[in-house]
Amino acid sequence: MVRGDSNRRWRRIFLILAAIAGAYALLAPLTSLDAAQSANVPLLADRLWFRLATITAMFIVMATAWNIIGGITGYAAFGNVAFFGIGAYTTGMLIAKARWPFLLSLPLAPIVAAAFAALVGLPLLRLRGHYFAVASLGVGVAVGELVQNIDYRGQPVFGGASGLFLPIYAIDNRGLFFFYLMLAAAAASIAVTWLVLRSRFGYGLIAIRENEEAAAVLGVNTTAYKVAAFSLAAALTGLAGGIFSQWNVFINQDNAFPIEYNVQMILMALLGGTGTAFGPAAGAVLLQLLIQFLGGTLPISIDIPFVSTTARPVVAQIILGLLLVAVVIFVPRGIIDFFGGRTRLSLGYLRRSLRETSL
Amino acid sequence: MGFGLVWGVLNIVNLAHGALVIIGGYITWQLFSALHIDPFLTLPVDAVALFLLGYTMQRTVINRIIKAPLLFTFLLTFGLNLILVNVLLLIFGSDFRSVTPSYSGQGFEFGKIVIPYVPLISLGVAILLSGALALILNRTRIGLAINAIAADRDAAQLVGIDLRHAYAVTYGLGAACAGVAGGLIALIQAITPTAGEPFTLQAFVVVILGGLGRVSATVVGGLAFGLVEAFGQSIPGSGSVFANAIAFGLMVLVLVTRPQGLLGRLR
Repeated sequence: MVRGDSNRRWRRIFLILAAIAGAYALLAPLTSLDAAQSANVPLLADRLWFRLATITAMFIVMATAWNIIGGITGYAAFGNVAFFGIGAYTTGMLIAKARWPFLLSLPLAPIVAAAFAALVGLPLLRLRGHYFAVASLGVGVAVGELVQNIDYRGQPVFGGASGLFLPIYAIDNRGLFFFYLMLAAAAASIAVTWLVLRSRFGYGLIAIRENEEAAAVLGVNTTAYKVAAFSLAAALTGLAGGIFSQWNVFINQDNAFPIEYNVQMILMALLGGTGTAFGPAAGAVLLQLLIQFLGGTLPISIDIPFVSTTARPVVAQIILGLLLVAVVIFVPRGIIDFFGGRTRLSLGYLRRSLRETSL
Repeated sequence: MGFGLVWGVLNIVNLAHGALVIIGGYITWQLFSALHIDPFLTLPVDAVALFLLGYTMQRTVINRIIKAPLLFTFLLTFGLNLILVNVLLLIFGSDFRSVTPSYSGQGFEFGKIVIPYVPLISLGVAILLSGALALILNRTRIGLAINAIAADRDAAQLVGIDLRHAYAVTYGLGAACAGVAGGLIALIQAITPTAGEPFTLQAFVVVILGGLGRVSATVVGGLAFGLVEAFGQSIPGSGSVFANAIAFGLMVLVLVTRPQGLLGRLR
């Protein structure tokens, strides 16, 4: 009885925190408008704020999208960054080479990414376990290399190693516009996950995760379901890539296909809690804030003792690595476990998680 | 090879492999530049040091998640990789380091062809190492235990094999192979703490091409990878740019059509 009360309290605290964070994210940018400035509203969002917030929203999209294939369906995709890059290059090429307007070329990013995912997903999703993870990683790396290196008559098709420059999208309050756009994509991806989890489709995917043979026997068309989930994840990731390309104005292999994003989006989903609608988003916000905090780019910052400022990014990475190890060992089901009303954070919980997976 | 061993036996995809390789490289560099020891003589030091490090890592950390879903081993080893690489950065900085003994530019003349010494000896070392690993795995008590675990973990435990110890030894052997490879790589190219990632990716391809868990298969995979990469680099007009894409494309193809590897048998 006492426990139930405590769980409900945690749940309420979580909801209130999420509501405050959401309201802050939604309203703070408005203070940067000229009207607000002339009315002497304090500036809550400068250029740095927009940059960090947009990147955070971008990771919410990627982590939530990964969750659809990795968390709900249980297929450990390790090359999702390929879809981000494909989305970025689809929009980028249409704008830079074909001179399409941004808002017309953006919808094509998810479409192309999803089509590509369906194409590679048909053979790849027949693999299980490690084999699928490694094959998807291979696809991720290969696509990045191909995009950088494909030449046609001696001219790089996709801008080559020097990257692709996009014309700047002329709009008032550019930072504000792209932040809201990315935030909308994040909200859309969470909404899609929420809908999936409550649909026949979602139950099919969970059945595949728990026992694929049994799901097939029950009449789930496993191939179609898996490919659909993979494409859905790809579409959302591609959308984030498309927005990123026009926002950042410049794309190349390094910023459109960064291998470390693969791990970051999975870590975020895992930290928040896989298989849930809101977990990956919470994990993305938390991890992104932590990375920025350790890197010293947040306005609130502390000095790490005994560490010179030059060594700081390196130490930040070490702390991140330690955190990763600790999360994997001690909190394998994600922090959403504590807020979702399923369990409480205690030494006993940590010890139980440790024992469950130890040799 | 070490990567294949760890994967095949322990079912761990070791993303820290590249970092272990680079640590081996730095040990060789440190011994060579500070104490002027011949780089090839430092290889046993690499092997022992990396074995100890690997044993400790497996015993203290990685053993804790053996029964967790596979994704966790990915993330855990990635985290370890992050820690190792950045600790190296703290100690050695990000400068390029290379090991250049007096004979590094010289070669062995064979008619009109000059075969440089360093790659030649490296090849010899690789063959020796493969032989040694095969011997350990097939002739020693702990090697047989490792094979037994690969065949059936629960049965191995039933006949009294100390799983924690055997797992740690396996990972240690894998790390030792990585260390020796790192020592050799330091002779061939300059290294930095962050140079390990390509080696992890290449190890993936090699292991997949050969098939999991057997030394001979991994050697074949390594040769196939070398040939494919050289072939990719020789495509006229493209330079070396497609080598990686071709290697990874081939890997995906092998995975889809022959998931047991070129030589492997279905288990």
